[in-house]
Amino acid sequence: MSTKLSICFLLVTTLMFAQEKFTVSGSVKDFANGESVFGASVYLENTSAGAVTNAYGFYSLTAPEGTYNLVVSYLGYNTVKVEIKLNKNLNLSFELEEDTTSLDEVVITAEESEKSNIRDPQMSVALIKTSTIKQMPAVLGEVDLVKSIQLLPGVTNNGEGSNGFNVRGGATDQNLVLLDEAIIFNESHLFGFFSVFNADVVKDMKLYKGNIPSNFGGRVSSVLDIRQKDGNSKEFHLNGGIGLISSRLAAEGPMIKDKGSFIVAGRSSYAHLFLQLSGEENTAYFYDLNVKGNYEINTNNRLYVSGYFGRDVLNFSDAFHNSYGNSTFNLRWNHVFSDKLFSNASFIYGKYNYDLILDFIGLDWVSSISNFNGKYDFKFYLNNKTTIDFGASAITYTFNPGEVRPTDEDSAINPGNLDKRRAIESALYLNADHKLSDKLNLQLGLRFSMFNRMGGQAIATYANNQPVVYNETLGFYESGTKTGEIEYDKGKSIIDFSNFEPRLGLAYELNESASIKMGYSRISQYLHLLSNTANTTPLDVWTPSGPFIKPQISNQYSAGYFKEFRGGKYSLETEAYFKTVDNRIDYVDGSSLIANNHIETEILSGESRAYGLEFLLRKNKGKFTGWLAYTISKSEQKTPGGNAGGPGINYGKWYNTAYDRTHDVSLTGSYKLNDKWSFSSNFIYQTGRPVTYPNGQYEYEGISVPIYGPRNTSRLPSYHRLDLAATLNPNRKPDARWKGEWVFSIYNAYNRRNAASISFGQNLETGVNEATRTAIFGIVPSVTYNFKF
Amino acid sequence: MKKYIYIVVSLFMACTDVVDVDVPTAEPRLVIEASLDWEKGTIGQNQTIKLSTTRSFYDLESPNAVTGATVTVTRESDGEIYNFADNNNGNYTINTFDPVFNEAYTLEVIYEGESYTATETLLPTTPITKVTQSRDNGFLPDALEVNVFFKDPADETNFYLLKFKDRDDYFPYLLDVSDEFLNGNEVQLFYEKSGDDEDDEFQPGDIVDINLYNISERYYNYIRLLISQTSSDNPFAPVPVEIRGNIINNTNSDNYPYGYFRITETDFKTHVFVADN
Repeated sequence: MSTKLSICFLLVTTLMFAQEKFTVSGSVKDFANGESVFGASVYLENTSAGAVTNAYGFYSLTAPEGTYNLVVSYLGYNTVKVEIKLNKNLNLSFELEEDTTSLDEVVITAEESEKSNIRDPQMSVALIKTSTIKQMPAVLGEVDLVKSIQLLPGVTNNGEGSNGFNVRGGATDQNLVLLDEAIIFNESHLFGFFSVFNADVVKDMKLYKGNIPSNFGGRVSSVLDIRQKDGNSKEFHLNGGIGLISSRLAAEGPMIKDKGSFIVAGRSSYAHLFLQLSGEENTAYFYDLNVKGNYEINTNNRLYVSGYFGRDVLNFSDAFHNSYGNSTFNLRWNHVFSDKLFSNASFIYGKYNYDLILDFIGLDWVSSISNFNGKYDFKFYLNNKTTIDFGASAITYTFNPGEVRPTDEDSAINPGNLDKRRAIESALYLNADHKLSDKLNLQLGLRFSMFNRMGGQAIATYANNQPVVYNETLGFYESGTKTGEIEYDKGKSIIDFSNFEPRLGLAYELNESASIKMGYSRISQYLHLLSNTANTTPLDVWTPSGPFIKPQISNQYSAGYFKEFRGGKYSLETEAYFKTVDNRIDYVDGSSLIANNHIETEILSGESRAYGLEFLLRKNKGKFTGWLAYTISKSEQKTPGGNAGGPGINYGKWYNTAYDRTHDVSLTGSYKLNDKWSFSSNFIYQTGRPVTYPNGQYEYEGISVPIYGPRNTSRLPSYHRLDLAATLNPNRKPDARWKGEWVFSIYNAYNRRNAASISFGQNLETGVNEATRTAIFGIVPSVTYNFKF
Repeated sequence: MKKYIYIVVSLFMACTDVVDVDVPTAEPRLVIEASLDWEKGTIGQNQTIKLSTTRSFYDLESPNAVTGATVTVTRESDGEIYNFADNNNGNYTINTFDPVFNEAYTLEVIYEGESYTATETLLPTTPITKVTQSRDNGFLPDALEVNVFFKDPADETNFYLLKFKDRDDYFPYLLDVSDEFLNGNEVQLFYEKSGDDEDDEFQPGDIVDINLYNISERYYNYIRLLISQTSSDNPFAPVPVEIRGNIINNTNSDNYPYGYFRITETDFKTHVFVADN
């Protein structure tokens, strides 16, 4: 009680003036499996009192004494309505049944019921349920969460063969990807062909493209918040799928006298995957394992444990061995202090490992990032006008950018270590959702973030404090002159940064079915992915901010118009955004980033900006559902010479980022023909990505050397692709426990050879210059059998 | 290392084809290929400097030879000037050059009224200790490769350029090496050819010319970038950029030339692949 009081003492005065009111609180679950429901609306009919369940299914709302109809609704589920007599505080929990009577298929649901979504000041967000993604056609029969978000407006990627995704003209390292709150540093298996998220264990995911709530921070472009299922608390189930490329199996069920539940899932591709070459010695595969369990100590206390372990393994004859992947562990404690105050404490550990053995040169390369994260979050339902989220977090990072070891005694390689880097990132945040009037809703957030780059390493010093110097005579940037080193002890902070990050959202309801929204957010990012290639790879190394690298700071302004028509059957969302990022790292010509202990000698600090207009037209109900998304946008960067002198990178002019896409169109739809067959399809069109084409050639050492000028002035041919899928539910007895379905899919149905890259060089046999296109996938048909028991 | 990753990825799944794409063409610039290489065991008196101008990327003609330029190299210590004769085909030659280790030399080219200069020091080169052939050492387990061995001197930072030229090929294979993780060791490097079928690999009877050069750090940075931007299809290669050498235009700095002035000793070996089974 005293804890509660001390935390909330600021709010006490407000409470004292409240009239005689009572609170209803409790949780909302899915009737079929006991999973908590995130984002369900709970409200008192014909009043403005309403709440939305949090990630653990908890809600709380307060109203004056009286008799009300309490309504609990969640899209795709039957609405529950009960009469309550509010003359004391009530604890009411609900279980919602899935709406199976209609053929309605929810495609992308907003986080609340349609009506309150119109009012919610949170914009630029999409919640996607796994059941939706499972309807989409997927490459090689494997359902893919990261690919599905690329069908949303404002989200693109570099096509096949590249890791990650780009949000609103942002870089791949500017996305915060969370799996049960743990940071995932590489969300791709096999260079982006699969995502690391197994759809069988994912409950839902939320993508914030802008107006990011203040409980998130650390990445300037987006947050992809993925939550695993808690496991079926009613009965034991097995489900899985057998495909041509990969197979998976998941088990879930109640445990410890129905006080808890668990889910365990594994997934693996086959070792022969993709191998075009003969010979059994070559392998490329991935596997991952997800585990989650929860236990209810009593109604006010619940524990959750979750973990993930994934690896990619590539072996090529005896010459090359490569493995990498994420592992995470999360322990959470939910505690309900009172019917208005909910809390969650999390302890999270995460590690990303990378190992590369090149036997033919006798080299073993290891790198990793590990982090410990402690968080304590509170949600306080102050009154029916105001909900307050607040909390604190601290993350300690250890970066091991690289260790080199000889593979055996015959190796010519000397062992070597790059300096380990250490840092602590901490934050306090407060977020208030407040109804200013019946029409006007406000979301006000503030995050205070701090970053300490810790010692345990030496920091180089440079003449004139210039790690990079412009060579005026030769016209290029080169490393500065190292004058010495300062050794810092492990416990000592080398440099620290702190930033106030205000967040603001405003929604004005024009009428029952239309609203306008505005948002602003400032976010700082203290970690940077070092990559001077167009496509990021698993080998790319992250580095913390420090004496030579300042934190990236973004400011994003967005405004939108939201409209529903025909009773919510259709909806239209339009948003405009403008985003700037300060202190964006750029790489000098000829920079070398791998195994470099002094990255500061290869980079300059610049800025980037992106702006665009997004349209999303959805059909939410009926036999046919789907959406059309269109984005027109621009993404540029500029890097002046600054302290290093000279004109800067690319002559100091604005130039297109590698992820600038003028046009981005995606069309996706699914059609339920009958109980047996359903079909789905998607089509994607993107302007080709900016690249640098040669503007001439000359001879040197008998080689024709292509000449490259200003960066990213040409473009690859446009990217487009059509995918098709059909799902067959064979006839079966309605009450049979075994449920199976066949999924037939075709990726890239018209066999478009989309260029992953175009390179320029000389034909070895003819000596003639030519342009060579690398295309990863042509048409790929596949079949998967999914089962549930 | 990204290159190796890409090799694997491409072997696993990528497919490539030659396509027509339009490329821009910039205004021509002067290219100076001034590589004064002193082969071990010779007196190094015959040297050639090549001048040309850049041309459009798909141009099939031979390089645009530059004639009428004045080309000299001066030894800084004694002011000795070596005049290179214009052969009217873009080559400027001399047969009386006198290389001396650790001496600084300055190149001057005067062309169309503009003066281009660069200064470099002549470095000695580590000898190649051994050249062998094998099948199991390279990337592909069954393909023939040629191996070159040399001893990296300890206590100093070294940079190397290795040039392999199959006499049947149009152009050489270049390899840039830093001793960062190899310092003081016997270094072994290989050249193995691969392609769509076995005919693209080395066959017994193939002849490979091998040059090893010790190079300066600045030249290493130059040639590393040049190699990375001329080698084959690699989507994980750094974004290509303009490569600037060490030669400056003293008259008009905006009209800078491409190419490099390098002066170094080289060890030369020839390997003839023999039947091994």
